[in-house]
Amino acid sequence: MVKRSAASALSGTSAGKTLRNIVKGPIVGLLAIILFFAAVTPGFFSFGNFINIFNQIAIWGVLALGMTFVISTGGVDLSVGCVLGLASMVMGYAAEYLGLPFPLAMLLGTLVGPVAGLINGLLVSKVKLPPFIATLSMFYVARGLANIITDGDQILNYPAWFIGLNYTRYLGFITVSGIVFLLLVGSSQFFLTKTGAGRNLLAVGGSEEVARLSGINVDRHLILAYVISGTFAAIAGIMIASRVNASEPAQGTTYELYAIAIAVIGGTSLSGGEGSIIGTLIGAFIIGILNNGLNLNGISPFIQTILVGVIIVFAVGLDMFSRTRGGSRPQHAA
Amino acid sequence: MKKRIQTFLMKYSSSGKGSLYALILMVVFLIATTPSFVSMNNFLNIIDQITINGIMAIGVTLVIITGGIDLSVGSVLAFSMMTFGVLTKDASLPYVLSITIGILAGTACGLVNGLLVTKAKIPPFIATLSMLSIARGLANIVSGNTQRYDFAFWFSDLSGKRYFNLFSITTTLLLVLTILFALYMKYREGGKRIYAIGFNPEVARLAGVKVERVTTMVYVISGTLAGLAGIVLNSQLSSSQPYAAVGYELNVIAAVVIGGASLSGGIGTIGGTFIGALIIGVLRNGLNLNGVNVFMQQVLIGVVIAITVGIDMLRSRK
Repeated sequence: MVKRSAASALSGTSAGKTLRNIVKGPIVGLLAIILFFAAVTPGFFSFGNFINIFNQIAIWGVLALGMTFVISTGGVDLSVGCVLGLASMVMGYAAEYLGLPFPLAMLLGTLVGPVAGLINGLLVSKVKLPPFIATLSMFYVARGLANIITDGDQILNYPAWFIGLNYTRYLGFITVSGIVFLLLVGSSQFFLTKTGAGRNLLAVGGSEEVARLSGINVDRHLILAYVISGTFAAIAGIMIASRVNASEPAQGTTYELYAIAIAVIGGTSLSGGEGSIIGTLIGAFIIGILNNGLNLNGISPFIQTILVGVIIVFAVGLDMFSRTRGGSRPQHAA
Repeated sequence: MKKRIQTFLMKYSSSGKGSLYALILMVVFLIATTPSFVSMNNFLNIIDQITINGIMAIGVTLVIITGGIDLSVGSVLAFSMMTFGVLTKDASLPYVLSITIGILAGTACGLVNGLLVTKAKIPPFIATLSMLSIARGLANIVSGNTQRYDFAFWFSDLSGKRYFNLFSITTTLLLVLTILFALYMKYREGGKRIYAIGFNPEVARLAGVKVERVTTMVYVISGTLAGLAGIVLNSQLSSSQPYAAVGYELNVIAAVVIGGASLSGGIGTIGGTFIGALIIGVLRNGLNLNGVNVFMQQVLIGVVIAITVGIDMLRSRK
């Protein structure tokens, strides 16, 4: 993948300037899809329905947030689905087999994330493995470990209050899951756009050499991106255990692809250097609304699968089209 | 210390041979420790088991050499498989016709991938990620999300019956395709063009290579081979399954990178990929024979990927 020019990578306003450009396309897409479904589907345009959508996209959304950081550095994290499953299983094992107090079990499950992320980050920065390969390895290792914990068995029967985290609505609409998602969105947005470390991540994605030459500790920032992604994946693992009242080794299968798709639909570029949390949020809504709208219209889930694929192509195609027309450097097709 | 490891590795492995040494090491180790490994039947079993992966990996190797990637092969396999199954069982078409159309379904998917990459300029990761969704959805729709079974005996024999106590038809197919494509890539102009695109598309274009056409062609090949693999899997399972091959694309890519191909393009060989597929197959086989938990096998495959590619990385660093 072609790296952007040195000048643009270093330009301090590159993150801010391109935010508006990044988000324009996805916003238009989001509005279009909302209008479409509002027109053809009774019951779509209601507060209750939007709340449903928001709660439903929380898990994929959290994964996509973490993925945004990694893709911004020019990498990809294929392991998030499997880390999600591993975290869920570790939490379950700690609670039901080791008999630990549940909050401690949740903490242990969450810790799986940064550990996996640290390994990914070290493989990418020190061993110089391509991110695809490094996280592909972690994919197999995490999935294997998740299965080994209980030899493939589910873990069931979580405390009622734990399940309530996903279902109990406060103030009539927001669940704890939803609040967690919002907090992560807010802190991610702040981190990526307002802190030096966040901007450095984007600089690393723009051009590693230039970032290194301008004094940024590239290795440390790469590791940071993967640690964030892993941590978010683990949090999503806890969330899913709460949603389905079970931990299962196969949880999270194929989720990494949706996380990548959401980030890319939201405008984050696979070449690195450009990333938007708001864009990712919009991407999550687009997918969520698509699923919701199609469900309400009784469309077969398989047609939905096809449509998601088509939307991804359109969204990225439009994005590439508008970039080259807008005069910014054309993206290499590889 | 790192420098010494690097020079050691460079002395004992030229590019592409690293995986061969790894395979030899593994085989020698298993011969020494696992008596049940050393049997003709076991070796033949291994080759049988890597047939599906091996066929798909040929096409994906070509795509990766051009600097692209194909994430859709698992779904395309399923789509071809279901198309074949539905045409054979529901429409009662003669096998020859339904096999052809089934494979063509894969070709069509590959063509779409190729056009998305060359004409719409969609990054291969995204284009084939979309196709992964689309083909899976089509596999479900075409079949009403149900299996098809009860295929002719001769059809299952394609993969089940060994001739001269050696290879089945489908395994022979794998070996023939591997040899043909390996020769093509090494000796024919077409092969050199594919490498040229991987090294630098712009330079290739200036040198007269029809970059768009060749690039589209490798995706078409990948889709076609995935379609073929779908027919083979159908023969092995004696049934068509809409959820077949979920996640296979990563196994395929694993074989290709273990075999020495570079995801940035320009580097990789069909022979290397075949060795990569063998390494995974031998690893699984050896671990099975030693009673290692099948889940631990998954963990070990992940570790092997990291190690083999890691060694390549250490080796190539100046």
